[in-house]
This record gives sequence, C-alpha cells and structure tokens, in this order.
Amino acid sequence: MRPEIGPRPLQDELTPVSAEPYRFWQCRTCGYLYSEEAGDPMEGLAPGTRWRDIPDDWICPMCGTPKAEFDMVEV
Amino acid sequence: MIAQDIAKTIVSPKAYANGKQVDDAFAYLRREAPLEQAQPEGYDPFWVVTRHADILAVERQNDLFHNGDRSATLTTKEADRRVREMTGGSPHLVRSLVQMDNPDHFNYRRLTQGEFLPQNLKRLEARIREIAKGFVDRMADHGGRCDFARDVAFLYPLHVIMEVIGVPEADEPRMLKLTQELFGSADPELNRSGEEIKDTSASVDTIQSVVMDFMTYFNAVTDDRRKAPRNDIASVIANGKINGEPLGYLEAMSYYIIAATAGHDTTSSTTAGALWALAENPDQLARVKGDPSLMMSFIEESIRWVTPVKHFMRTATADTELAGKPIAKGDWLMLSYPSGNRDEAVFKDPFKFDVGRMPNKHVAFGYGAHVCLGQHLARMEMRILWEELFPRLQSVELDGTPKNMEAAFVCGPKSVPVRFKMN
Repeated sequence: MRPEIGPRPLQDELTPVSAEPYRFWQCRTCGYLYSEEAGDPMEGLAPGTRWRDIPDDWICPMCGTPKAEFDMVEV
Repeated sequence: MIAQDIAKTIVSPKAYANGKQVDDAFAYLRREAPLEQAQPEGYDPFWVVTRHADILAVERQNDLFHNGDRSATLTTKEADRRVREMTGGSPHLVRSLVQMDNPDHFNYRRLTQGEFLPQNLKRLEARIREIAKGFVDRMADHGGRCDFARDVAFLYPLHVIMEVIGVPEADEPRMLKLTQELFGSADPELNRSGEEIKDTSASVDTIQSVVMDFMTYFNAVTDDRRKAPRNDIASVIANGKINGEPLGYLEAMSYYIIAATAGHDTTSSTTAGALWALAENPDQLARVKGDPSLMMSFIEESIRWVTPVKHFMRTATADTELAGKPIAKGDWLMLSYPSGNRDEAVFKDPFKFDVGRMPNKHVAFGYGAHVCLGQHLARMEMRILWEELFPRLQSVELDGTPKNMEAAFVCGPKSVPVRFKMN
C-alpha cells in the first residue's frame, strides 16, 4: 500500500495553498486526468494534493507513463 | 516447455468459447509455469506471459518489446508464411497502431488521440444518450424477451462509433458483418465460409478478402472526405499528415479498419458479457441499481470480467530477462490479458463478478504506449447505456444458454438470450 500523500500544510506556504486555483494534469499517452481538487485516493493521493507535491518518480496509474509526460490542461 | 495439452488449449478458439477451459489452463500456468515457452503443433515457439505484473513489465518497455517485428497476433507458421507471401515479406496484412512501433506509432496515434480524450468526448454525451435511449426503448419493445447480444449490445456501440467515424447508418449492417467475419474468422457461425477452418492458409485468404472489402469501402470514404471534409474521424484520417505527408495507403486503410472494428466489437462484447453476469448474479444487479456510486466500478469489473482482447504478441528487440527468465532477441511473447485479469496475486476472488471491486487495475485495455485509444469512449458508452437501462430494468434472467464466439484474439458473447421486466 502506498503511503498517502496529502496537501502541504498552510503554514508551510507564504501564500495560502487554498488561494491557488486547482488545476488538471493529463497523461499524454492515455488521457488519464489528475484533478488536484479531487486527488486520487485510490492511488494514495488525498483530495487537494497539488501536482508539485506528487513525487517525480510517480507514474500514470492507467498506463505507466512518467509524471514528466503530463500536461496541464483546461477541462 | 509447456505441456502440449495446455499449449493447445490456450490457442484454441473453441477453448475461449468454452471459457472455463482457458480459465483453468491459465490458472494452472500462473501457479506452475507463469512465464514459460509453448509450442503448440504448427506454431513457432512463444513465451506465455500469464501474470499481471509481467504483462505490465513487457507493455511498459515498448522499445524492448516491439509490436511490429513479427505478427502482433498469434498465428500459425503456415498462416505467417501465407501472409508474407501476400505482402512481399511483411508479417502484417494491415498496418494499424497495433502493428506499429515508434516513431510511427507515436505520430499516427497523435493524429486522432485528441478526439478520444475525456474532455473532448463530453460534446458527444447528449447524442450518445439519445442513441442509448433509443436502444433501451427497442429492448422494451421486444416484450420481455430478447437476445441482448444481438438485439442491443452489438448494435449500440456500432451506431456510436460509425457516427464518430462518419459512416452512414445504412452501412452499419455491412460494417458489423465485416467485423464479425474478421474477428470471428475461426467461428463457423460468423466467418465468411460458414465452415470449420482446418486449413490455416485458406483462412488467411478469407481474412484477406474481408480486409480487401474494408479497404474498397474506406478508399471511397477517403476520396469523399478529401473533396468535402466533415467533422468526423474519417476526415481526420483522409486529410491527416505525418511529417508533412499524407498517410500511406495501407496505414490510412488500416486506421479506418481498426476504428471500424475494435471501435465497437470490444464494447459490444463487454456490454453483452456484463448483462450476462448480472442475469446470473441478481444480488450484484440489485447492488448497482441501488447505488449509482457503484456505476464506474461496475463498468471496470465488466471490462475485467469479459476482457474482450485475449492477447497481443510482442517481439524482444534485444536479449533481456523477464521475471528471472532469459528472453532472447527475436523471441515472441504472448501477453494473456484474461490471465492477467484473473491473477490471484492482484485480484481477490478473481473468478467472482463483484460490481464494487476496488481497486480494479485490470489490463483489458493494455498498458504503456499501446494502451487502448478508445478506452474513454468505451467507458462513456457503457455508463450512458446502463444509466438509461437500470432505472427501467426491474429484473433480468437468462432465457437459454448464452454462447461465446469461437476466437483466440478478440471475442466475447455472441448470444445472450434473456427474459426481463421493464417499466
């Protein structure tokens, strides 16, 4: 079981995290959409987990594509 | 080397139609020989990849394990010889994404990928719902008995994908027949000859004649869309460019063929297999009807349960090691998706149909660079159909014995007779 990655505590930031709009990131290979707001609890990513807080060695849960091959998208 | 009786079973169209025979064979292999070579009579030797983790490992390394170097589907030595004779040396009758490796695979996939992204499919939702409602009404009109495979499941995804491609409704029966003749080439009830296939060389000739019929049809479509492009996939293929050049003839025709066959047949099989499973498991029907939050897990379980694509082949491009076994450059590997989707190491009670199964990381759509392009459309079509059908479906039970297609590559139920009550 993966350790759950959660949103960074507010006090760690100069600007409150909640002031930033949530964004979507999409896998270039399979189209899997990661929503920062919803997270992906099945993958151990709690709601509110920012893209930047996901480890660089994370891979797409649907097809194995590396994190670097995701694009920020408007949905 | 895998024993001959098991090796014969895992390549037998009749064993896939039976279902239990291949399930038992793969359960044995996962336990006793999860990655081993097989050489059924008439075939070149190939590795049988039965475990979920090993399938992922092969699919993830798409430079080390190629699709196009040898046949991408399991074929006999005689059929391979006949194909190469016809094509001037290529092991492929068609050259679609399935037979390509990079850089072509990346370039050709990118051509239509955007059309199948979830955010771009949203614009189709209202129209697909209208189509689904029409099929639910037609099911109700059957008066409580129908063959759900033939009367609903074969026709609904067909209608959706043909609209997306841009094929007129009047041509849908022809597309369905050609698809069934292609994927059901070993099934005497579906193939072009209407007979048992004994001579694999003759079988290649029959498949080639089906491919030629598809090409004749889509060549005319290309001419039409080049003259007058529309907002459809056919226009994207007809007018698309790769590195500044139009698609090659074989590649363009193959693009249409894969969209016009795999684009509906697999969803049809999953839809038919899902209702079959619900008819046999009324508790699961009650669960999913009673809790709409289970819709997506039900759909994933349906896809895992049916696994309509039974295998793809890969060819090692270098000497390597997989799960402790030495794989030599040029070795041929069979990725068994039904086996990966019943892997006891990943799925609890894998032979149980569980609409609430989570997680459910099945490999029915593949994995890695070749993961199914149409997976989001398939899920969306199924979700909409069930959202329309479940509120009206009071009960369903089998009304005879369902039958699976006889095929070892792409197949699912060909007949699911049911009795039902609808409001």
